[in-house]
Amino acid sequence: MPDQNPFQDPLRFERRLPPCAVVIFGANGDLAKRKLMPALYRMAYDRRLAPGFAIVGTSRTPLTDDQFRDRMKDAVRDFSEDTKLDEDLWKTFAAGLHYVSGDIGDAALYQRIGQKLGELDRDHQTGGNALFYLSTQPSQYAHAAQGIGAAGLQHGSGFRRLVVEKPFGHDLASARELSDRLHDVFAESDVYRIDHYLGILAFRFGNGIFEPLWNRRYINHVEITAAESIGVEGRGAYYQEAGALADMIQNHLLQVMATIAMEPSASFRSGSVRDEKSKLLRSMKPMTPDEIRVNSVAGQYGPSRIGGEDAAGFRQEPGVAPAATTDTYAAVTLFVENWRWAGVPFYVRTGKRLPKRVTEIGIHFNSAPLAMFDGELADGAPNLLIVRIQPEEGISLKFLSKQPGAGMKLRPVSMDFNYGSSFGERSPSAYETLLLDALLGDATLYTRQDMVEASWAVVEPIQNVWREMRFNFPNYAAGTWGPAEADAMLARRGHTWRKP
Amino acid sequence: MAVAPPEKILKELADLWVNTGKQQEGEAAHGVLRACTMTLMVVTEDSEDPAGLGETIAALMPEHPARTIVIRLTGAGERSISQRVFAQCWMPFGQRRQICCEQVEIVCSDASLGDVPSIVLPLEVPDLPVVLWCRSPRLLEAPEFPALAAVARRIVVDSGAMSNASAALNRLAEETKRGRLLGDLAWTRLTRWRQALSQIFEDPRHAGRLAGSARITIGDGAVTTRAIYMAAWMAGALESAGVKAEARIASHAQHAFAELESGDFRARLERQDGHLAATVDGLSQCVLLTKPDDYLLMREELGILGRDPVFEKTLASAARFAYATE
Repeated sequence: MPDQNPFQDPLRFERRLPPCAVVIFGANGDLAKRKLMPALYRMAYDRRLAPGFAIVGTSRTPLTDDQFRDRMKDAVRDFSEDTKLDEDLWKTFAAGLHYVSGDIGDAALYQRIGQKLGELDRDHQTGGNALFYLSTQPSQYAHAAQGIGAAGLQHGSGFRRLVVEKPFGHDLASARELSDRLHDVFAESDVYRIDHYLGILAFRFGNGIFEPLWNRRYINHVEITAAESIGVEGRGAYYQEAGALADMIQNHLLQVMATIAMEPSASFRSGSVRDEKSKLLRSMKPMTPDEIRVNSVAGQYGPSRIGGEDAAGFRQEPGVAPAATTDTYAAVTLFVENWRWAGVPFYVRTGKRLPKRVTEIGIHFNSAPLAMFDGELADGAPNLLIVRIQPEEGISLKFLSKQPGAGMKLRPVSMDFNYGSSFGERSPSAYETLLLDALLGDATLYTRQDMVEASWAVVEPIQNVWREMRFNFPNYAAGTWGPAEADAMLARRGHTWRKP
Repeated sequence: MAVAPPEKILKELADLWVNTGKQQEGEAAHGVLRACTMTLMVVTEDSEDPAGLGETIAALMPEHPARTIVIRLTGAGERSISQRVFAQCWMPFGQRRQICCEQVEIVCSDASLGDVPSIVLPLEVPDLPVVLWCRSPRLLEAPEFPALAAVARRIVVDSGAMSNASAALNRLAEETKRGRLLGDLAWTRLTRWRQALSQIFEDPRHAGRLAGSARITIGDGAVTTRAIYMAAWMAGALESAGVKAEARIASHAQHAFAELESGDFRARLERQDGHLAATVDGLSQCVLLTKPDDYLLMREELGILGRDPVFEKTLASAARFAYATE
């Protein structure tokens, strides 16, 4: 038989997943329960998992396989947003769930994991493939990788890959150091650093009509917003160390920006796309401390009432120091120094306890060069392209249209495209997409080491300036769109934030 | 009844949008969004429940927005033809705006079927593909079929609704030889089965265990086109990998199944109460297998507007297989 599966029908079958054992470190934690397990169960529900598929959960808590299965069943029931728990399917899925307890720093844990992988390969026919998923505290990434290396688990008869959650390091030096320690065990091509999927690639590069407009000549400014309505939700201790700038802008939002602004890549192959993203990140204009002071805003939410209920301020959250100076909101004006984007401001903001959960990109086009029509909207409503990432992935284009009737009155209209309704099926969650890609060995949507370092090169100088500044925190009330200084930052260039 | 002039239908279609827009004006100022990715012609018997078909078409529209032309055949009788035009709308964006697709319904007697292609031709949406969904199996045998088929880029039939499996497969194979792009819902019903079998061979060790020859057994309630397709597809795939396969159909099976044996390797797929069990060497995995309705089948078929090489190859060998086993 040839290597290629003769039963494949690429026109009709979904992407093929190889047999594999997924080893989840921190399997008893919040991320595993809320995101990973529901995503893996959904993949089983969608018939995407290969027959030889198994999951090995590991954490410090001593649990039997059955106890682990029960906990994961509860997690799937509680946190699967749009997938019902089918008892028969669960039985098959649960048969592949196993648990190994132990401390990440204990070499014996890795021996036991190795033993379990051997058993699974024999009993479940996992093909010797293993994906190690680090869903632990970031400070434990290096320990886990070294434990894997010391036990020789990075080598096997199949592929061996490592998935690392964000944030990757807390500054440029720590990101480099972490990369070095991971590279002691895994090759860069086997390290998958989490970023989130973006349909923008298909939109930008699958349609020829936008490319001629995608530059400083036609685009006035770009807004990137990642707003969360919730607070730190029990992650106060961790969040206190990270902050919005490092937790969101350094990784996720700069990747979003890179995707929006990168040059077209020669192909959709992983190396090619990531080369272009990396180039874009390296083209970001470095700012002097004075420039940083006027082009960045830090914020922290204070107590408020939302929907008739009291909402705690950040400093009142469990695990947060009463005088914490952590930024729960960050807004930055960035510029790209290349021929395509010179002079175009990219406004990037993120925050917790904002009015709603939304991630979107607003591309503001220049106004028509000549105001031919009278009236208040004649030149005051330039075209706007909105790319929504969540909660409903889609695209909207706002333009002016003549109102019916006599006279020439204009009004803005919006043309909407929504993935969910237009394709009649749910969009897979970000974690489903990422797990699928990691299992398939497609790293296009994952962040490469040079991209991480380029992002830190942008963010670290801002962190350094902020450390020396004194902020009057809290400076925005929970449930509002952030501090007034963020509005002022845009107003200086005659712009205003959208209210998504 | 008078023959409907296409210009009149086009005028009605234009009026439809004006009226739908006016209705919206009063309710909200967002207007109506018109969406279209193809022209979908559906030929069905007038006796068929219109509500069921209407629901199927409505369900398809969000994913495959189309100008739909439903042609209802009233059977033998005098020449008669009538039409009506209406819109299928849905409200996907948090009740902000309706998205609407047009629907034209033509009711005609068999004697007037010859008039339909000339009515339909100007109603095609320019620059977009036309798909003909033959829900009425007798249309395939009607003398007017070639003229109607010539309008379409792709034709979707359901050989499962035809009385003789062997004759049906031969008829379809003839059409593909004429260069028509075909889809068959009997084949579409096998996608989940085929995918489950393919998954097994994602593990190259399984593929490596196949010997030079293999035995395929397909179980179904009768000798159906579906069973023949499955046997032909499996044999064809194995042949492309250098494995000579012998296939047979067990026509009185209680549960549908597909089995592959080669040397010491044995894989079996079997339907079990809403699930599909895939068993390899005694190790079983179970996936959900809901009975695909017309909506799910057509959703898959409308996603394919060009050639379907695996189906075309299988159809040709299925027709030969059916002939040989007759």
